[in-house]
Amino acid sequence: MTEASIIGLFVATVSFGALLYLAALGELLAEKAGVLNLGVEGMMAIGAVTAFIIGVELKNPWAALLVAMLSGALLASVHGVFTVGLGAEQVVSGLSLTILGLGLAAYLGKDYVGLPPGAELVPVEWGGLSDLPWIGPIFFNQAPIVYLALLMGIAVSLVLSSTRLGLALRAAGESASSTDSAGHSVLGLRLSAVAAGGALAGASGAYLTLSITPQWAEGLTAGRGWIAVALVIFGAWRPGRVGIGALIFGGTLALKTRLQPFGVEFSPIILSMLPYVLTLAILLIISVRARKRPSPAPFGLGLAYRREER
Amino acid sequence: MRQPRLSLREQPLPGGQPLAFGAGLLIALIVGTLLLLAAGHDPLKIYSRMFEASLGDPDAWAKTINRAVPLGLAGLAVAVAGSMGLWNIGAEGQIMAGAIAAAWVARIGGDWPGIILISMMLIAAIGGGGVLALGPALARAKLGVNEIITTLMLNEVAIRLVQWLIHGPWKDPDSFNFPLAPMLPDQARLPTLFSRTHFGLLIAVAVIVIASVAVRYTAWGYELRIAGSSEATARYSGISLSKKILTVLVLSGAIAGLAGGIELTGTADRLTETISNGFGFAGIIVAALALMRPSGVAVVALLFGAVQIGGQSIQTLGVSSSVSTILQAFVLFGAIGAGVLSRYRIVLDANTRSIKKEMSDD
Repeated sequence: MTEASIIGLFVATVSFGALLYLAALGELLAEKAGVLNLGVEGMMAIGAVTAFIIGVELKNPWAALLVAMLSGALLASVHGVFTVGLGAEQVVSGLSLTILGLGLAAYLGKDYVGLPPGAELVPVEWGGLSDLPWIGPIFFNQAPIVYLALLMGIAVSLVLSSTRLGLALRAAGESASSTDSAGHSVLGLRLSAVAAGGALAGASGAYLTLSITPQWAEGLTAGRGWIAVALVIFGAWRPGRVGIGALIFGGTLALKTRLQPFGVEFSPIILSMLPYVLTLAILLIISVRARKRPSPAPFGLGLAYRREER
Repeated sequence: MRQPRLSLREQPLPGGQPLAFGAGLLIALIVGTLLLLAAGHDPLKIYSRMFEASLGDPDAWAKTINRAVPLGLAGLAVAVAGSMGLWNIGAEGQIMAGAIAAAWVARIGGDWPGIILISMMLIAAIGGGGVLALGPALARAKLGVNEIITTLMLNEVAIRLVQWLIHGPWKDPDSFNFPLAPMLPDQARLPTLFSRTHFGLLIAVAVIVIASVAVRYTAWGYELRIAGSSEATARYSGISLSKKILTVLVLSGAIAGLAGGIELTGTADRLTETISNGFGFAGIIVAALALMRPSGVAVVALLFGAVQIGGQSIQTLGVSSSVSTILQAFVLFGAIGAGVLSRYRIVLDANTRSIKKEMSDD
């Protein structure tokens, strides 16, 4: 067990943590507005593939990131139109979105499998900070998306807690009918939250193909979208706690491929169960405590709102 | 400016769900045609190949039916829970748990006679699926933990359990270090009925019929549906909700587990990571298209099976398998949309702001 391998583990932890955090923040936004979107995996895949394609064609990583976010938002809007506009079952529509996203991603990307990346988001140099022992490589030599994730976390947290828009958004997730009565458009709030969530999931996917992997293959997202869904619960619908959870879950992803140098005789597959098992444990703790204090879940989560049925 | 709004129709459109499914197929057909044209294929040729491969002759029917069996049972599992308003998103994991349990029986009973071995494998599969659903069932019944997330998380645990078994303790020593479980013993294969249709068809039909009758015509099923439509009514009429939730979710898991067992003995040679192949998720869709009615899942599963088998067949014509995945998604969204619109109509409301403006203009 060398110092380099420990530092490498932490570098990967922060990097995977940011990947999960972006997608989880998106899911958090949608859920805060009352829409459960189980299509994260599909939106990540679409973000990953469009980012890769634009990278190859235009050689510009920022254009690639932008297109990935737009296509994530566009795909999420399908879920928005069906669940918010038509009031369809959120669970069914979200799972269908995962199928659609994975299918579309495979279709769009079939000529790009195995190609070298045309553009990459290279780690940011922070001058002297990047040269610090330990802290330098772990925090100050990461891909730009890592800092984007941090910024997004702060932004989402501030918007939700201290702006009128955030208040209206949370209200739409708690009680749609009173939000409507107060003169806000539940339709507009929920649709925008879902679309914004899709954009973040798209950015998360783009991080895979522009920096972490960086290649395109079918099944690249490998169930990480489900971890994002789990993270929102793990973090009790709070951007800060979700961020801490993202680092913990990111750590398990990072450990998975790095157990050998530590000489640990432990199956990486068993380790990869950890995020889900931890989330289950947290769910149980939340519900046992819920007898004393209210559940942190938005009250109207999963409920369709049709004005005449209020 | 006028805002669109959904208004409940006094009566649903005639045709209802079959019509919605048809609309979904039609939308998928149109989108599929565009995708195929874009990729330079002849859509007519592709569609006729899909039809031939899934419903064209007895062999094709056999493939479709063998696919419809796990889809139908998974759909039934979801629908049984759905009759009570519960979401079992964990059929995928329960199918794998069932397959694991059945594979374990095959490991210890390698020299048992076929009929005993297969029966024990299927019973174990039922138990395996039920055990995986027990946790979410208890958590929902006793603590009120949302079953959607718990069952969803256990899917990911179950697939990793299969991976671990295949890579570790159950790895075939003769597999040249490939992560493969050993082949099932020969007598552990389900007998076939006609062509390659296996005996699972009869089991699935029987289970679907029994469950449909139980939900539709027995006191148990009546209580279930009451609890599904209104918790308050159920509580008022003395139905024990927590006991109902517990039994229904475990039963749902057991049915999904059975699907895993049948898949293992019927179509697979050995336990693999892809033993479920998305059947659990497809089952949610099947159940939703059947409006959570156990009696409806068989027909939907057959149609869905045909779409899947047809979709696989066109890969030999050079069409990417993703086209069939996209087609499935469009069938779903088309059906979801048409289902909603058969019950609601879109009316245009005057926007409150424009009313205010009109009033101030006067």
